[in-house]
Amino acid sequence: MRWAAAAAVILAAALLQSAWGPRLEIVGAFPNLVLLVVLAGAWTLGPRAGMAWACAGGLLLDLLAAGPLGPHALALVPGAYAIGLLARGRHQPHALVVAVAAAVMTVFYSAVLVLFHPAPAGTAMRLAVAAALYNSLLAPFVFAPVRRMVLGTITRRAQA
Amino acid sequence: MIAAHETSVVAVSKRTGQVLAAGADARRMLVRAAADVVLMPTLRMGRPLTIGRHPRPQPVVAQPKRRSMSGGLFVLLCAAMAALSIVSQQPWALGAVDAARSALAPAEGALASAGDQVDRVTSMFGDVSALRAENQRLRVADEQLRSQVLSLSQAARENDALRQALDFERASGFHTRPAQVVGRGPDAFSRAMVVDRGTADGVKAGMVVVTGAGLLGRIDRAGPHESTVRTLADSSSPVAVVLVNANLQGTVVGGGDRLRLDVPNAAAIAVTKGDWVLTSDAGRTYPPGLVVGEVADVTRGVGSTTDHSDLAWVNDPARVTFVLVITDFTPS
Repeated sequence: MRWAAAAAVILAAALLQSAWGPRLEIVGAFPNLVLLVVLAGAWTLGPRAGMAWACAGGLLLDLLAAGPLGPHALALVPGAYAIGLLARGRHQPHALVVAVAAAVMTVFYSAVLVLFHPAPAGTAMRLAVAAALYNSLLAPFVFAPVRRMVLGTITRRAQA
Repeated sequence: MIAAHETSVVAVSKRTGQVLAAGADARRMLVRAAADVVLMPTLRMGRPLTIGRHPRPQPVVAQPKRRSMSGGLFVLLCAAMAALSIVSQQPWALGAVDAARSALAPAEGALASAGDQVDRVTSMFGDVSALRAENQRLRVADEQLRSQVLSLSQAARENDALRQALDFERASGFHTRPAQVVGRGPDAFSRAMVVDRGTADGVKAGMVVVTGAGLLGRIDRAGPHESTVRTLADSSSPVAVVLVNANLQGTVVGGGDRLRLDVPNAAAIAVTKGDWVLTSDAGRTYPPGLVVGEVADVTRGVGSTTDHSDLAWVNDPARVTFVLVITDFTPS
């Protein structure tokens, strides 16, 4: 049940990001819903589950993009691992902490992705910074419901 | 012994095995410190749990070891994804990748069309507010009439795009297949797009994609009923070009949302802003004479024999809705 719920959330995030992300472009940056969902998963469940979410979400993004399978997954896994390790045992985080975590994870993500889609340094930096700001603004709104869903499934599982 | 009313679970510390709280308090504790606490039923193997020290809920693995397991998994996953990115480009793997992409295409298309509806509704609200400000008479205009006007203007935009496409086919002499953009790539670096024509419509990987305005890119993968277009914004799609006024050969390379023009220019012929850039017949990878863009800014380093320019692309990938796939041009 827990994995089914996680899979549904990741699939919905990937499809929404692909279909609607480009419509919400600001200064070249797209909102990255999958990254934000992976952030919430890694923060709540730890690094191993976070990396599993990152792989699933990343592969879905790869399927929805041109080019080989793997770059988006590879771009998400380091962030999920780092967030999972750093957040282990932390209480409910402040929205500002979530926003900063999303920004850092976005910079990780962009740095890896640019290896597969080379761009001039200035352009890559501008896109990465804009995406980091964009994602950090959206992060608290995505983080809270996803974390609540994850904790809800854990509680139901314990009661069963 | 726990025999409290409605207490069905207790919160147990993962590290010490200590029962920390029961019932609603336990659930609240889980929300506050999910990583340190595990919920357990009060009756386990027919025996009640007691407050105080308790056998650990599961074999507790020492923290450093668990971390090293995560580290190993991290390295394994990174290696697997890097390997997958190589394997998935092999010809024998393309069939499976395309099948998976085709499975996702209908859901993506449905969401994209839902987005179109939302755009239509929001543009209607925008028009309403603008009309109220500009003209008192239009304030009392009928809602149905406004919807019709919006629908007609949408149709007119589509009509313009199709007319441009038809003009292109007449002028260029190439056979083309029109296609509608039904999806776009999820990242800002590749600017890929998905169109609603595939192998069933005669579209194949490698075919050149244009709009009425000029060159857009090339079919990267073709599924049965949809294809992915790798646009010029992708850095792996360089184009040999010629500058119309300066009559110099160069190369256009993508990168993020910009196009860069590199022109070897040992004779120091002036490359001027506003010069038009067309595809050249060098390499025969694209049909010659397709418009790519306009020189926007020129820089030339001291002692350099190459001019670097920013190129204003004639196509904005974020706004392209119709494309033409050239079906009778074979790159050499």
